[in-house]
Amino acid sequence: MVKIKTILAGVLVLIIAVLAVLYFSGSEEKKVRKQFHLLSEWVSKDPDEKVFTMAHKVQSIGTLFAEACEFKAPIVSLSGSYTPEEISSYAAQGRAYFSKLSLRFYDLEIDFPEEGVAKAILTAKLTGTSKAGEHVDEIQEFECALQKIEDRWLFRSFKVVEVLKR
Amino acid sequence: MVESKKIRQFFFPSLTPKFLIRVTLVALFAYVFFGHVCLPLRIRGYSMEPTYRNGGFNLCWRVRYIFSEPKRSDVVAVRFAGKSVMLLKRVVAVEGERVEFRDGKLFVDGDKVDEPYVRYPCDWNLPPRQVEKGHVYVVGDNRRMPIESHRFGQTSIQRIVGVPVW
Repeated sequence: MVKIKTILAGVLVLIIAVLAVLYFSGSEEKKVRKQFHLLSEWVSKDPDEKVFTMAHKVQSIGTLFAEACEFKAPIVSLSGSYTPEEISSYAAQGRAYFSKLSLRFYDLEIDFPEEGVAKAILTAKLTGTSKAGEHVDEIQEFECALQKIEDRWLFRSFKVVEVLKR
Repeated sequence: MVESKKIRQFFFPSLTPKFLIRVTLVALFAYVFFGHVCLPLRIRGYSMEPTYRNGGFNLCWRVRYIFSEPKRSDVVAVRFAGKSVMLLKRVVAVEGERVEFRDGKLFVDGDKVDEPYVRYPCDWNLPPRQVEKGHVYVVGDNRRMPIESHRFGQTSIQRIVGVPVW
């Protein structure tokens, strides 16, 4: 009788533990997804965007990144380590080139290989119209790493997935 | 009278359990078949012209390479980003082979390859390179544009999703 009770208690504890892990990892995944959503929102630009909105968005973009964010791309000149301030600056320059810009993330797969680290594989689609009237429609797969710092998930690295290697 | 009843029955069937089961089975089959076995493709871009034209429609047969591997001159769909963005390219070399372009002509392991599907003039030059293990070398059929503007190269066999049905 005692044995059965012990086994049942053990099973119950196991079920609670599994549910807790699922719940908390699920909520961490939501937090990570929210960071991508914010990045998408702050990079995107409407044609009638006001100056204050632009300034707020550009400044906010930097807050999503860790102190040194690594960017790796097949184009060597784009690869390197950037501070949040540099990222905000480049974002401002990039956004200024466009009258309309949209950045969307799709097929986001998030994994937590260790405590405080998230790895994501995603598709980024950038569409827009430059002030000169040129249309941009680019799609690319990325591998991204995030780090949890003071209860916030910050982008640590972005790597362009090279599908075709010459 | 009987005819009009039949026509009405065809367009407005009775919602019997048998009918609902049939509809569910058809929907399930369509979801599995067109979602995972035979994917609808809309062709965007000119890199495979004239074999496959921009704006064309096709189906991607995913089970083609379950028991075999891609071989030279196969047209394949390569997963480019996420689950739904693919490149349609032709395999010109398989693992271990050396690929090069000389004055627009393709050479594999030093031998000139006859390519009847390349209809437009090409002046590409590309030094020899070896296809890595587990990879194939893919190129589009339309080589009219400068070599820098064409997406081609070696890709992992894991990224090959299937072949176009026609």
